[in-house]
Amino acid sequence: MIENDEYEGRVKALGIMVVMVIAILLARAGYLQVIDGEYYASLADGNRIRIIPSMAPRGTFFDRNGELLVTNRPGFTVSLLPLTAPVSEDVVSRLSTLLHVPVEDIHKKIEAHSGFDPIRIKQDVTPDIVSIIEEQKKLYSGVVIEVQPIRNYILKQEAAHTFGYVSEISDEELERRKDEGYKSGDIVGKFGLEKVYDKDIRGVNGGEQVEVDVTGKPVQVLGIKEPVPGADLYLTIDKNLQTAAEKAVDDQLALINAHAAAAVVMNPQTGEVLAMVSRPAFDPNLFAHGISTKDWNAINNNPYHPMDNKAITGEYPPGSTFKIVTGTAALADGRVSPDEKIFDSGYHWIIPKGNADGEALGWLNFVEAMAHSDNVYFYEMGNRLGIDALERYSRMFGLGKTTGIDLPYESDGLVANRAYKRKVYEDDWYLSETFDAAIGQGFNLVTPLQAAMVMGEIAANGKRYKPHLVNRIVSQDGKVIKEFTPELLSELEVSPDVIHLVQTGLHEVTTYGTAARSFQGFPIEIAGKTGTAENPHGRDHGWFVAYGPFSYPTVVVAVVVEQGGYGAASAVPIGRKILEAAFGLNQPASPAGAGKP
Amino acid sequence: MTKRIFRRMDFALIIATAGIVVMSLVIIGSATHINAPGREHYWFVQRQGIFAIIDVALAIFLMNFDYKILQGYGTRLYVFNLIMLLAVMLVGHSALGAQRWISIGPINIQPSEFSKLIMVASLAAMLEGRVGRINTVHDLLPIAAYVGVPFLLVLKQPDLGTSLVFLAIFFGMIFVCGIRLRLLCGIFAAGIACLPVLWHFLKDYQKMRIMVFIDPNVDPLGSGYHIIQSKIAIGSGMLFGKGLFEGTQSQLNFLPENHTDFIFAVVGEELGFIGAAVLLLLYLIVLWRGVQIAKDASDIFGRLLATGITSMLAFHVLVNVGMTMGIMPVTGIPLPFMSYGVSSLTTNILAVAVLLNIHLRKQKLLF
Repeated sequence: MIENDEYEGRVKALGIMVVMVIAILLARAGYLQVIDGEYYASLADGNRIRIIPSMAPRGTFFDRNGELLVTNRPGFTVSLLPLTAPVSEDVVSRLSTLLHVPVEDIHKKIEAHSGFDPIRIKQDVTPDIVSIIEEQKKLYSGVVIEVQPIRNYILKQEAAHTFGYVSEISDEELERRKDEGYKSGDIVGKFGLEKVYDKDIRGVNGGEQVEVDVTGKPVQVLGIKEPVPGADLYLTIDKNLQTAAEKAVDDQLALINAHAAAAVVMNPQTGEVLAMVSRPAFDPNLFAHGISTKDWNAINNNPYHPMDNKAITGEYPPGSTFKIVTGTAALADGRVSPDEKIFDSGYHWIIPKGNADGEALGWLNFVEAMAHSDNVYFYEMGNRLGIDALERYSRMFGLGKTTGIDLPYESDGLVANRAYKRKVYEDDWYLSETFDAAIGQGFNLVTPLQAAMVMGEIAANGKRYKPHLVNRIVSQDGKVIKEFTPELLSELEVSPDVIHLVQTGLHEVTTYGTAARSFQGFPIEIAGKTGTAENPHGRDHGWFVAYGPFSYPTVVVAVVVEQGGYGAASAVPIGRKILEAAFGLNQPASPAGAGKP
Repeated sequence: MTKRIFRRMDFALIIATAGIVVMSLVIIGSATHINAPGREHYWFVQRQGIFAIIDVALAIFLMNFDYKILQGYGTRLYVFNLIMLLAVMLVGHSALGAQRWISIGPINIQPSEFSKLIMVASLAAMLEGRVGRINTVHDLLPIAAYVGVPFLLVLKQPDLGTSLVFLAIFFGMIFVCGIRLRLLCGIFAAGIACLPVLWHFLKDYQKMRIMVFIDPNVDPLGSGYHIIQSKIAIGSGMLFGKGLFEGTQSQLNFLPENHTDFIFAVVGEELGFIGAAVLLLLYLIVLWRGVQIAKDASDIFGRLLATGITSMLAFHVLVNVGMTMGIMPVTGIPLPFMSYGVSSLTTNILAVAVLLNIHLRKQKLLF
C-alpha cells in the first residue's frame, strides 16, 4: 500500500468512469437491439432479400369463333439487381458491350431507379446473350435474367388499332395509377382493347424471393409466388372477316393510289363489331419490347397518322350518306309524302345548288331520289325541315356524341346547328347552310363507326345497340367473369312505315341507283348508300354504307376512303368485298362466319 | 514460493481476459466464414490462437521479473519508442492509406500497438517523482512535450486512433498523478476552443468520418456504409442473436472488416444483446480489476502503470464498441483481445501481465 495516499480518491474516480463507460455501451446496445431491434431486423432483411418479379402473362385474345388473335411468347430480359453497394463499373461496361446499350443509358436507368425491384436494361434478348451471362456469372455479378412473357400479335398490323399495344408504364401514368396497384416497370396496355381492359387481362405478377450477398449473387431461394395469368378476352371480331376487310382495303388503296381509309363491320341487331380497319396501320409487336427510334420515326413522320384509329377517331363530312337522316326526318315530320314528286332541273329554285356534275334528273319521288342520291330533292327536304328539325333528328340517330364503344379516344363528330355556328363563327345561320347540312356537307362530321351506326339503325328497324368488341371475359379457370349482351341504347321515334320507306330507297341504291353497277349479280339483297364528301384540303373522301341481307340484316358496313374521290368508285368496291366475305361468298366451301346473333 | 504466487494471482482478471480471448477465437471463426466449404478459412483463427498461446507463455515468463525494474529503463524505453515510430515512417508499408506496418521476417508488426504500452511505462517512470506537483501550466509543459513527440509521430502516419489513445493514457495518468483539477479543466476548455483549428489539420477522409458520424446518411455507400451496416448488424441481432455463423450481415459480407475493427458487430448480430452484454461485463471485470490494482499498488510507479493500462483499455473499448453502434466516430482502433491482429493481441496480453505483476507484488514485505 502507498503511504500517505492523498490521491486514492482519484483512482476511485477512475473506477467510476470505467463503470460509466461500460454502462453507456450496454445502454446503447440495449437500445439498438431490444428497443429498435425489429427495425434493424427489417433493414437487415432489406439488405439480403430481393424479390425478382415474374410477370404474369396477359390474357389471350380470341376471335368470336375461338381463333387465336393475340397471345404471349417467352422473352428474356437482362436486368440489374439493386444492391447495397454500388454496381461495379466493370459490370456496367461489360453489359454495355454485350447488349449494345450505351453506358450512359445504363447509368441513367440505375439513377432513375428506386427501391429493390430489378432494373430492366434490355428486354427480349436472344438466347445466346442469355447463355453468355449465365456461363460467366462472376463477370456479371448483380445481373439477372428474367423470363418475361412478351406480347405476340399474331395478325401483325391487322386489327392493330382494335387490339392496341402494350409497353412499359410511363412515369406520368404511374403517378396517376399508383393506387390501382401499378408499379414501376410494369407492362401496361397503352391503346385499344389492351388499354381499356388492362385491369382484367394484366393478371397478378408473382415473384421469387431470393437471398443475395453483398455483390447481388443469389445465395438461396426463400420463396416463390407463382404469377396468376390475366383473364382472356373473347372478342366479337371475326378473324376471317377482319383479314378479308384488311385485304379489301389494302387492294383498293393500292389500286386508286390513296393512302388512308377506315372500315367498320357490325351486326346491327346486337352492336357486335365484326371487323374494324384503319389505314395506314402499325405493327403492335414493335412496341412489345421497346420500339426502336427508327421504327418510331417511321410511324411518327407518316403524314397519314398510322397511330390514329380512323374508324372511331376520324371525323369526316358524311356526304350523301347523311341523306338517310334527312330523308327519315322529312318523312317522319310529314314534310313530304312518299309519292310527292319534286322536279330536279339541275338546280334548286331558291339557291342555285345542284348535283355534282349539274345533272338534271327530272321528276322524282322519295325512293327514286334516295336511289339516285338526288341533291336537289334533299335540298328541298332541308328547306322544308329547317336546321333545327334536322339537328333534332340527327341527334335522335345518335350523332354528335360518342357511341360508347369499348375503345379509347373516340371522337364526338359534329351535328350542324345554330348554336355551334354562333359560338365558333359568331354569325347567324343561313339557308344555304341548311341546304349543305341536308346533304351531309358543311358543318356535319361523323366517324366511320357513327356512319355504320346510322345505317345499322335503319337495318334494325330503328333500334340502336351499343357497339362493342368483347363478348365475354373468361378467367384462367374457365369462369366467365363478365358477359356482354346486346345493350339497346335508343329507338328512333318514327313510325315503322317511315323506316320501311327509307329501307326501300336504300335497297334501290344497289338495284338501279348509285351502287347498282357494283352489285350487279350479287346473290344477296343489299341496301346501301354512297357518299362523296367535299374535302377543302384535297380530293373528296369516298363513302359507302350498306347492310344485308335486306330482309333480315345481320351485317352493316361503313367504309370511308380518304381523298378517294367518288364513293361509288373508291369505297363501294371495298364494301362489296367485305360483304362477300361476311356472307362466305369469297370462299364457297366455308359457311357464313358472321351474322348469327 | 510458487504456491504463494499462485494464491496471489488475480483470478478474476485472468478468467475475464481468458473468456474474452476464447470468445474472440469463436467470433473470428464466424466472421471469416470458417463454416464455408473450400479455402483456408481456419487461417485467421489458427494464427490468432497460436499467438495467444505464445503471448501467455511470454506473460508467465515475465512474472519472474519485478515490474519495478521497468522504472529504471524509462528513458531508454522512451527513446526506443521514438526510434520505432520513426522506422515505421521510413521503412514501413501502408495499408488502407496509412503507413503502419513493419515486416520482420514473415511477421508484419504494427509498432503503434506496442508503442502504447511502452508509452505507459515510460510516462509512469517520468511522472513517478511528480505526484502532487502538477499545479501550473509550467509544471505541465515538460510532460506534455514528453507525450507530444510520439503523439505527433503517430498522428503523422496517419493513425488518429492511436494518437487519441496516447491522449487517453496521458489524461488518465496525470489525473491519478494529482494534477490540479482547475488546470485539468483549463486544458479541456482550451482544447474545445482549439477544435475549429484542429479541423483544418485533419485529412479529408478523417473529416468525412466525423461528418458521417454526425449523419451516416450523407454518404451511405461510402464512408457512412460501415456505420450503417454495423448498426443494422447489431440491431438485427435483437435479444438472442441470429446464432453463430447465422448473421446475415456478416456472412453475406454486408459488414466489412468484420473480423478486425467491426468484430463487436458480429457479436451483437450473432449472439444478440445477451452476448454483447456478457462481453461488455467481461470488459467491466478486466477494467474494474485494473482500477483496483492501481488503487492497491505498492508504489506510485505501479499505480501509474496500472492506471495507464486501464485508461488505454477503457478508451479502446469505449471508442471501438461505440463506433460499431454509431455513438463514436470511425477511427481504426481495435477491440482489445477480440479484434484479429497479433500486434494488438500481444500488446494487450502483455498489458494484463503487467497488471498481474503489480498485483502480485502489492505487499513489499514478501519480496
